[in-house]
Amino acid sequence: MPGDHRRIRGPEESQPPQLYAADEDEAPAARDPTRLRPVYARAGLLSQAKGSAYLEAGGTKVLCAVSGPRQAEGSERGSGPAGAGGEAPAALRGRLLCDFRRAPFAGRRRRAPPGGGEERELALALQEALEPAVRLGRYPRAQLEVSALLLEDGGSALAAALTAAALALADAGVEMYDLVVGCGLSRTPEPAPTWLLDPTRLEEEHAAAGLTVALMPVLNQVAGLLGSGEGGPTESWAEAVRLGLEGCQRLYPVLQQCLVRAARRRGAAAPS
Amino acid sequence: MAAGFKTVEPLEYYRRFLKENCRPDGRELGEFRTTTVNIGSISTADGSALVKLGNTTVICGIKAEFAAPPTDTPDKGYVVPNVDLPPLCSSRFRSGPPGEEAQVASQFIADVIENSQIIQKEDLCISPGKLSWVLYCDIICLDYDGNILDACTFALLAALKNVQLPEVTINEETGLAEVNLKKKSYLNIRTHPVATSFAVFDDTLLIVDPTGEEEHLATGTLTVVMDEEGKLCCLHKPGGSGLTGAKLQDCMSRAVTRHKEVKKLMDEVIKSMKSK
Repeated sequence: MPGDHRRIRGPEESQPPQLYAADEDEAPAARDPTRLRPVYARAGLLSQAKGSAYLEAGGTKVLCAVSGPRQAEGSERGSGPAGAGGEAPAALRGRLLCDFRRAPFAGRRRRAPPGGGEERELALALQEALEPAVRLGRYPRAQLEVSALLLEDGGSALAAALTAAALALADAGVEMYDLVVGCGLSRTPEPAPTWLLDPTRLEEEHAAAGLTVALMPVLNQVAGLLGSGEGGPTESWAEAVRLGLEGCQRLYPVLQQCLVRAARRRGAAAPS
Repeated sequence: MAAGFKTVEPLEYYRRFLKENCRPDGRELGEFRTTTVNIGSISTADGSALVKLGNTTVICGIKAEFAAPPTDTPDKGYVVPNVDLPPLCSSRFRSGPPGEEAQVASQFIADVIENSQIIQKEDLCISPGKLSWVLYCDIICLDYDGNILDACTFALLAALKNVQLPEVTINEETGLAEVNLKKKSYLNIRTHPVATSFAVFDDTLLIVDPTGEEEHLATGTLTVVMDEEGKLCCLHKPGGSGLTGAKLQDCMSRAVTRHKEVKKLMDEVIKSMKSK
């Protein structure tokens, strides 16, 4: 990067070899639209973070760590109205700071480290989806830092990051109303558009539209929704949301198991 | 009682252990933590490796791209290392541009690559003056518990051994490159530099492979990089207490033994990968 004097300088610009390769237009294979890839989840694996979780779904690998609560930086926000249900007023509520990073080697093309707009958008999406689940009123004037790192993008990266972040928060012992489970969807292009659950990277690249849904399974409330792409009839999008919510519910038992195992491990390791 | 003492007087607590020639986690002064390495786990990268040194976890991913060779050396390619210490590895790092420690680590890795000639940059050149390979080596620390330089060097070496580059031919008529993604070949790794880090306590005692707490309490650190013929590639001693010549010789012999252990581990892993 020309101006970046903090990193070792490389060439001014470079191209990936795929640009020059003989045409390899692989179309994604047809498959059952409601299949979820098998998920491997593990919590409590980093020694330096308060809580951590690693999630692997197909080719997507995400690692998430939570630190805090620590004193909130920045001036006090003006006193806002008290939240519904007797929550602490806005000035006293804790803050959730989310950071989403993509490893430079995570996608097909290398992305130089300062990620730019996309990473910030996803970090904001993470924050918006996790806030309803965390009891921020119990951490007055404190901030919780959640950092997600995408090691390999195999499709549905935001959904995996959401799930990993919720697991990491639970592993850190942060008070929560419920876990947040994320699920990704994508719609195949024109002839016969169908919504596919948990798309792979190839399916996402060939998709006409994409959607990520975040659900709080026990409360059965939607925590977050982010979609973009070509427009379509409202019924199609509504059906996609329903499909996504079903997918999240199916994923929930795996995450419960993961947290139980992590708690057992912690119990066994800690000297009483 | 011990936990209280440790919080109030960490250095004294530590000295009690050092007097008995051991450390709080049960290791001897010259003993390394359990090292594990996992190669080729990231399929989007051309080469990758994950190294765990006790709790310290580092992942290295290598992406190869095309670029025009540098104008002053038209027959060489580029190797661009970058060490990233994100806030997830330890609470002392903030998100944003690379801090001092990350920059020092990146420069150290660049020096190791340059001095040990791990790859001949001429091997990366496809067509002098027109096209060459750039190897972007991105090293990310996932868990910071001391001795980051050793882990980064090992991860880089293991990832480089795992890199497979596709075959490239320059089409005579159009002058464009033609890439055959089906035919891939490994890089020619000439030397295998291995780093060994030491921490200096109270200006006299040397301990090997310091953890995060030990680094914090130490009065100085030293990193020695050796290659297989017992040649010294790089010595990194950022200030701290002075060392006599004899102690330095000691460190170098310990580094030679460490090199043998690491090389054995890596050969085993590569063999198990190839036999798949």
